[in-house]
Amino acid sequence: MEVLSPPSGSVRREPQVPLRPGGAGLTPGAVSGSDSSATALAALAANGPPVAEPSRTEPRSQRRPRHQPQPVSSSAQALSGVPIAAAGAGASRSLAFMGTGVMSLGVGLAILAVRPDLLATYHYNQHIIAVTHLVVLGFLASILMGAMYQLVPVALETTLHNGALVRPHFLAHMVGVAGMVATFWVWDMKQVGHFGSLLALGAGCFVYNLVRTLRRAPRWSVVATALASVLGWFSLTLLAGLYLATAKCWDFSPFDPVAAMHAHAHLGVVGVFVLPIVGVSLKLVPMFTLSEVQSPRRAGWAVALINAGLALVVVTVLWRSAMKPAAGLVLVAGLALYGMELRAILRARRRAALDWGLRHFLLALVLLAPVSVLGLVLSWPGLPATQLTTQLENLYGYLGILGVAGVAVMGMLYKIVPFLVWYRAYGDRVGREPVPTLADLVSPMLQAAGFWTIVLCLGLTSAGIVVADEGWVRAGNLVGVASVILMAANLARVAAHLRWPRRTARSGRTP
Amino acid sequence: MNQAELWDTLRTILDPEVGLNIVDLGLVRSVAVEGDVVRVQMTLTSPGCPMGASLVDGVRAALRTHGAQFEPEVELVWDPPWSPDDILPAARALLARG
Repeated sequence: MEVLSPPSGSVRREPQVPLRPGGAGLTPGAVSGSDSSATALAALAANGPPVAEPSRTEPRSQRRPRHQPQPVSSSAQALSGVPIAAAGAGASRSLAFMGTGVMSLGVGLAILAVRPDLLATYHYNQHIIAVTHLVVLGFLASILMGAMYQLVPVALETTLHNGALVRPHFLAHMVGVAGMVATFWVWDMKQVGHFGSLLALGAGCFVYNLVRTLRRAPRWSVVATALASVLGWFSLTLLAGLYLATAKCWDFSPFDPVAAMHAHAHLGVVGVFVLPIVGVSLKLVPMFTLSEVQSPRRAGWAVALINAGLALVVVTVLWRSAMKPAAGLVLVAGLALYGMELRAILRARRRAALDWGLRHFLLALVLLAPVSVLGLVLSWPGLPATQLTTQLENLYGYLGILGVAGVAVMGMLYKIVPFLVWYRAYGDRVGREPVPTLADLVSPMLQAAGFWTIVLCLGLTSAGIVVADEGWVRAGNLVGVASVILMAANLARVAAHLRWPRRTARSGRTP
Repeated sequence: MNQAELWDTLRTILDPEVGLNIVDLGLVRSVAVEGDVVRVQMTLTSPGCPMGASLVDGVRAALRTHGAQFEPEVELVWDPPWSPDDILPAARALLARG
């Protein structure tokens, strides 16, 4: 047997090949096109590393203990026992969730552009509640759930329990959200309850499917803990929502309705959106940036404190306790620890370039800081109820939902949609013909334009909310609609590969 | 097909997320020829890597396409797990430059 890569005591994978005629190696200038990273990587992909220098910077034995590789499958056909995630399973249904999400966001921002008074004035009316549910359930929840069907198996290194349950969930979700938004708008709470129950039925399929998926994870981790918590908070949020709708019909609740609504909102935004962003990012940000979690202990404490803080916030808000700021501090401490861990992960990354998907995600995390400060200020028991403080409440909700959760979800879209499309269009062509990379599927120009327009949208709308100016809010949301159109155009460009796969893509050999 | 051509064939397989070929990314652990069988030991950046099945299948397809005289066998190995340290130095330098 001729071994082409000597399996010495430490694993060596350096290809022992002679220099190719003409000089293989890093010759970015040899590749057409001017730009840096893509060109350089293309050159590297085409030519390979300078094989005259096969050794690494330090001996493997000094990096970490390793052993001989242990094969787990004897051929690629025998993958059934191998924990490779079933990538792309149910991809079309995940894409349907995402299409619904983008459309809901566009409609939500358009409504705010037509009715800027909803954000520029006091917030408790049926219309803002309808728009909030359109954005939260139609946009955020649709995309998050569609993404979780794909990302949770990846993060847990397993496969989805039952792909067949995704379709009934999608149908119940669609009808449920549309019905809830319409009936909130006309304030028919009995019908809100009916449509909410349908939505909860679909969500039940989702929770059941993911709980079973969690149970088949090969090992428990901080990511699994975060995701299990998300499913718990999601179920509680739905039950709280149904309780609120029922209490509006029969007036039996001992809780102050505004306090109950605030508790429901925190359960939803922090438990269902911020927490999965935290959990999944602890796995995916290292994966995308070629880094590693730097302190699993710190990450674990972050997730634990966010969970504990959220529980305390919900209880203190519901009972209108003076301990709200203390509860908020526990939550903020967890978020701060998470921020520190993420900063450490990014500082240790091998891949310097941050793509636009990650930039969206990081913008959302930066916005967590002002939102957290605002939340702590607004939780102060002695805060007078002035026009400014009620507008700051609007700003807190707006930035929490659209700034933090919304922008993070947009970033997630730019990662997962190209992957789902690539997998369906090119997954079975690898090795048979040149296929594009995920980055080749999106337009960086449209992504950059989408990013800066959403920044402008958030800035203008936030300023308009604070000074209670309808003109600014309208302008901000018009820019927001433009941003959604740019994002939709980019994602449509990606999806076009399903119908018209590209045949002349670059590959490792032919940039 | 000689050694260099075998490695070059593996370099045609790109990790679609990173944009690097699987050799430079440090995913290929070893390549061995035994009679008319070429055996590749490789890993993935994570056991849950969503591209895993495509990459493994792609390696077999590429070896069949470019080295018709060989029957490819691909083994997935997880121990030791892949780490960013496994990226070849030159590729690491390029990634660091952005």
